[in-house]
Parts: sequence; C-alpha cells; structure tokens
Amino acid sequence: MNVDLALTRRQRIGAALLVAIALFCAAGPALVGDPRVLDLMNFLSAPGLEHWLGTDHLGRSMVARLAHAGQLSLGLAALSVLSAAIPGVLLGIVAAWRGGWLERACVVLADSVLALPGLLLVLLLATLAPGAFWPLYLGLALAFWVEYFRVVRASARSILASPAVEASRLLGFGSFYLVRSHVWPELRPVLLTLASFGMAAAVLAMAALGFVGVGIKPPRPELGVMMIELLPYYQEAPWLIAAPVLLLTLTLLGLVLIRPQEAVA
Amino acid sequence: MSALLTVRDLSVHAGRQTLLRDVCCTLHEGEALTLIGQSGAGKSLIAQAIMGNLPASLRAGGEITIGTASSRAEDVAARRGLWGRRIGLLPQEPWLALDPTMPILRQIEETYRYVRQDAGPLSPARLARDALARLGLQGKERHLPHQLSGGMAQRVAFAAVLAGGAPLLIADEPTKGLDEAMRDEVVTLLREALLEGCALLTITHDLEVAAALGGQVQVLQNGERVESGACTQVLSKPRHPYTQALVAAQPERWAPLPPNAPGRLLLAAESLGQSLGGQRLFEGLDLSIRAGERIAVSGPSGCGKTTLGNLLLGLLPPDQGRIVRHEMRPHGFQKLYQDPVAAFAPRQTLRRSLRDLCALHRQPVARLDGLLEDLGLGAGLLERPPGGVSGGELQRVALARALLLEPSLIFADEPTSRLDLLTQQQTLEVLLRSAEARQSAVLLVTHDRHLARWFSPAQVILDTRSNPDTTADSSHGSDHSVRSLPAGVPPLSAALRTPQAAQHRAPRRAPAAVR
Repeated sequence: MNVDLALTRRQRIGAALLVAIALFCAAGPALVGDPRVLDLMNFLSAPGLEHWLGTDHLGRSMVARLAHAGQLSLGLAALSVLSAAIPGVLLGIVAAWRGGWLERACVVLADSVLALPGLLLVLLLATLAPGAFWPLYLGLALAFWVEYFRVVRASARSILASPAVEASRLLGFGSFYLVRSHVWPELRPVLLTLASFGMAAAVLAMAALGFVGVGIKPPRPELGVMMIELLPYYQEAPWLIAAPVLLLTLTLLGLVLIRPQEAVA
Repeated sequence: MSALLTVRDLSVHAGRQTLLRDVCCTLHEGEALTLIGQSGAGKSLIAQAIMGNLPASLRAGGEITIGTASSRAEDVAARRGLWGRRIGLLPQEPWLALDPTMPILRQIEETYRYVRQDAGPLSPARLARDALARLGLQGKERHLPHQLSGGMAQRVAFAAVLAGGAPLLIADEPTKGLDEAMRDEVVTLLREALLEGCALLTITHDLEVAAALGGQVQVLQNGERVESGACTQVLSKPRHPYTQALVAAQPERWAPLPPNAPGRLLLAAESLGQSLGGQRLFEGLDLSIRAGERIAVSGPSGCGKTTLGNLLLGLLPPDQGRIVRHEMRPHGFQKLYQDPVAAFAPRQTLRRSLRDLCALHRQPVARLDGLLEDLGLGAGLLERPPGGVSGGELQRVALARALLLEPSLIFADEPTSRLDLLTQQQTLEVLLRSAEARQSAVLLVTHDRHLARWFSPAQVILDTRSNPDTTADSSHGSDHSVRSLPAGVPPLSAALRTPQAAQHRAPRRAPAAVR
C-alpha cells in the first residue's frame, strides 16, 4: 500500500509539532534532571535559566516534571486510544460486513457498555489490582471502544452498500481490497478526529481517576495530576498550570493539523 | 409594464478566464425565458449570478435589475434581501429541499410567516392550508415528506417557494434525472406559475421541456449566446450549427439502429418475482438474454428496474422464480451506473483504480490504454479523482473498466440520464459500438420512451401503476415480439405540447415507502 507522502503545509506543521512533543517526552527525562528533587527554598519561581519553566509549590523543576508527565500521560493515552480503536474498528467493519446475528450481538454488547458509566468500569478493574497501570488503561480501552465501533459500523454500512463497492465486487475484487480501497480511505479522517479527541479524553479521565484516588497518585508526575495539584497556585504562578495544559493542547493541535483535509469540491 | 428582470452585459470570470460573456435578457410578467445548452456551457452560472450565490472563486460583472432594484452583478449583498420575496429559486431535486422531520403544512406556513410581506389578513396557517388544497394535497397537511410520493413532494416544494410571493422564479435544471411522469408534473407546475403571472427563467438541457414552456429561448455554447428567439422558431428552424446539433441529438431524431443477430443463450429467467420493502415490484417475469442482444428496460421511477438488473447480475437472490445462467465466466456480467461518480472509489485517482483492476485480472496495462484510446479518452484524465472528471467522460471510463473483462452482458442502468443530449448520444454510440464489436448483450434501463424505442424493439416495460395484478410486462422472449406501448398513454412530447397539458396531470403512483 503506497502512502501519499505529499503533505500539505498544515499537515507538515502538525507533524513537526507532534515530533517535537514526542522528542521532548522521549528524550526529555534523560536531559532535564530529576523531577523528584525538592528545592524548598525556591518554590513557585518564575521561568528562568536554571529552571526553564520555573518550579512548582515544592520547588521541583517544572520542565523535568513536564517531560516525565508527558511521557507517562501521552504514552498511556496513546496506548488506551490504540487498544480502544483497534478492536472497535475491526468489530465495526466485521459487523457491517456480516450483518445478521453477529452485528446484533456486537450492538447489544456496545449498548450495554454504553449504559455503564466508564468510570465504574475502571473502578471495578482498579480494585482488582490497586496502584497498577494496567487496570487504568484496560478500563479506558473498554469504555472507549464503543464509540469507534458505532462510528465505524455506521459509515462502513453505507460505504459497503454504495454503487462503488457493488461495481468493485462485480469486477471481481475481494473483501480485503474493498476494505483497503473503499472503506479505509473514508474512515481514516473520521478515525483521526475520534482518536485525537480520545487522547484528550483519556488524559482527563486519568486525571479524574487520580482525583478520586484510583489512578496515578502524586508524587509521580502525570499531566492530569499536575493540573489538579497546581490549580490552587493559579493566582501566584499562572505559568505553572499553563505548562501541562499547553502540552496537552499542543498535542491535540498537532493531531488535528495532520488530519487529511476533506477534498474541496 | 415594467420588466421584472433585466440583465445587462452579465459576465462571469474565474481569474483571467471568462466563463460567460455578454448575457442580456429582459423578462416581464407571465413571460418565460429558457436557457438551453450542453453542460458546461455556463447556464447555471447565469442563475447563480442573478441570485448572487456564485462560488467565491468566481467574479461577476454587469448589471442586474430585479423589479425596481438595480445593482451591479458583483454586489451580491444587494440582491440577497430579495430572496424569496422578489426572486425565488426552485430546487433541483425538490424532495431534498424539504425538511424531512417537519410536517409539510408547517414548512409552507413558515414561508408565509417569515418571508411573505403582503400576506393580508389571513393567518399563515390558513394560507398554507389553502395553498396545499390548490395543489390537490388536502388531507396530507400533517404528512412528513417521506410519506409523500415524489410528485407530491415536488408540489410541496413548489408551494414553499411560491409562498414567498416572488414574481420572478428561476428554475435550474428542474427536471434533471426525473422520469417522464414526474417531468410532466414539473412542467405543469411551471406552466401554472406562468399563467398566474410569474416570470420564469428556466435552465435546462431538455429541449422538450423548453418546447413545453414556450416563450423565449437562448442557446448557449461555451459561455456565449449563439442563438436566441421565440421558442418555436429556434427549435423548429435552428439557424446556428450548434443549435442544429442539439436538436438533432434528441433520441427521437436519431437514425434507426440496424437490427442485430443474437447469438447463444446467456441467461434465462423464469417467472421472476421480487418485493422491496414490503412492496411487490414485479412477478411472473420471463426473460431470456442472448449474446449481442439489445434490450430496453423502461418504467417509472421505483418500479424495480435496478432491482431487476441486480437479480440478473446475481447481486440479489430472487424472491420467486429462478435464473439460469449459461455464461460461466466469473465476471462476465457487468454494470454501468446512473451516477458514474458514485461507482468509483472516491479517494483514489482513476489510474489507481484501473491499475488495481489490471493487476487483479493479470491484464497488461497497455490493453487498458488501448481501450481508453478506443473510447476517445486521454490518458491525462486518469490522474484525477472520479469527482474531477465530467459525467460523460467518467461514464466512458466506467465502460472501459467493464470492457477490460470482456463482459458478455452489460447492464446499463440509466447510464445517460444525467448527461446532456449531445453527451448522451456520444456515450451511447460508444457503448453500442464496443458491445457490438464484442458480441456483448446490452440491457439498457431508461425512462426515456424515445430512447427505449430507438434502442431496441425488444422491450421490458415494468409498470406498477397500470396493472397491479400483472405488474411485469415482458413481451420479450426468444421470439422477439415487439411490445407496443400500452394503449391510452399519449406520447409525452404530444402531451406536453398541447395547451391542455396544464390541466392534465399524469396518473400518480401510490406513495412509495422507498424512494
């Protein structure tokens, strides 16, 4: 499958942004020092040469914490988005293709997951293994796959019923080709949109879980936890809470920018 | 009497390119002006320029006067305030212009309430009720658009436009893709509007519609007016070669096809029956198709023409009866679609789609290039996505795609109903030539009676309206008897040209659940 490498200017900016964030999160922790070192004489300081993004309420270097938090949060968010998207997309396509009892079974399953609050699922898993990461990510994946399933099933159904697919069938193309050339190109932009908002939702969900004491707890740096921790210091040091918010916003911006544009008719 | 519309020196440019130049016209109360020409001639640009909704990349020049309000063509905002009240645009496919979730009475009522200015003492609801009653829709006030037949939905959309009280109506291709009965109905509505004193500017590529509306005609070619005058004069004695070509491109004027000798039996269907959405489409249909044979399939919209094709192609199992297929090659039956754009993967270039097809069937790409050349298509065309190619060219690409597999049967599902007359003629000629060279049978679905008659004496006429018991009329079999059209149905062109046509309404089809 040849990928169209000709990116638009927008897409190049988005890609550059994402690469920069990925580099910061991947290599950052090794370069910017230990996020656990307390400098209690020097708390809530403004960004400067020593601490590029200032220090938090305990005098810890914000840039070090941000790099670690980014790695953990964005990594976990990406993982949970992927593990929600892959089964969701596959089930959606299979359900639209096969129809019948298989489709009905998938729909019933999806609807019953939808009926449960996602938080409840995660809490349930978290009680099985307190403090571990895997219940978090598994719970998020279980709560989020439904939207991929529903969106993919709905659009795959209409695509598979289109004259273009009928023509391809008459011409002898097999199911793999139909999915690759007809279904996937239509789904890709929708999925990228879903995935970018899914990333944000996953980060915020982890923060919320941390808040109720199930998720990642301080002092481990995590974007959502940092936002909650730093909110009380908003008056004295607004740049502190701005840092994790900005990192998340830029990540989403990058994801939105790399999305292929709808062809303008 | 002052003019309702005066257009002076209207031109439309895209960058440095001139798409339309020196258009002038004047319309008074009760007058009709019809613009005709091939697609791409710039007809729709005139309507958009007058309304003031040209695409942002285009620039208009000239002067447009609607009623007493004069404005420069590029001053779009000046005319926007006139929409609905002074100038109305009739939607191309009316059922798409209706809100699917709102009862029809309320849809018309809201035009009276929010758009109409001189409504008088009666309440908008009362006015809307009267308007529906005048169109023969009393008792349907609370219906949603999907509960109406296509013809009724059309009348509702018309009522909604007329409710604004605009004395000037613009209809942009009001009959595109409609079957004869619905086309008749649209023309009747337009004529009624004329009789009530509206001025009507119609854009069409259908010369029969132009003839039925009468009045003045302007013929456009490549953005320029090549001929204008009274409708009867221009259509009966065209002076410009382009107009002559257009008139000659009407199917009833085509030279008859030489008869052809059918070969071996490809497919036999016995007492076929099918229902769709709880509605019986046809039953007891016998049909045999031989190699090289031409068969025309006709009937009103929704009568199961496409479904019949899908049964024969093996895309659907029949509810009743059986189909015996004597052609054993796996991809020997191919189909052409009404909307060729929808028949290609939308996000791939055509080259990519066709290359994949060559690879799948282990055909050399050179063979494809030869085919495209045969059909008069340049290779540069293939670098574009399907949406970037004109309808006629894309239909020929679709034909090339089918021919690559040497089909023994081509089911052509209204392949030219969205094309203008000249392109239609060209496309059908290419289709027939290619089919004849390969001894392929062609089943042509069409709602154009002249076209069906020209295409073949062997006709399958599906009609759910006239005789619900024997819903399928198949006269056709191995003996090739010619089926005459049902008695009592006047040929459309005659019905349209008589002055009584305004009173005559085509028989209405029962509300169909599925459009």
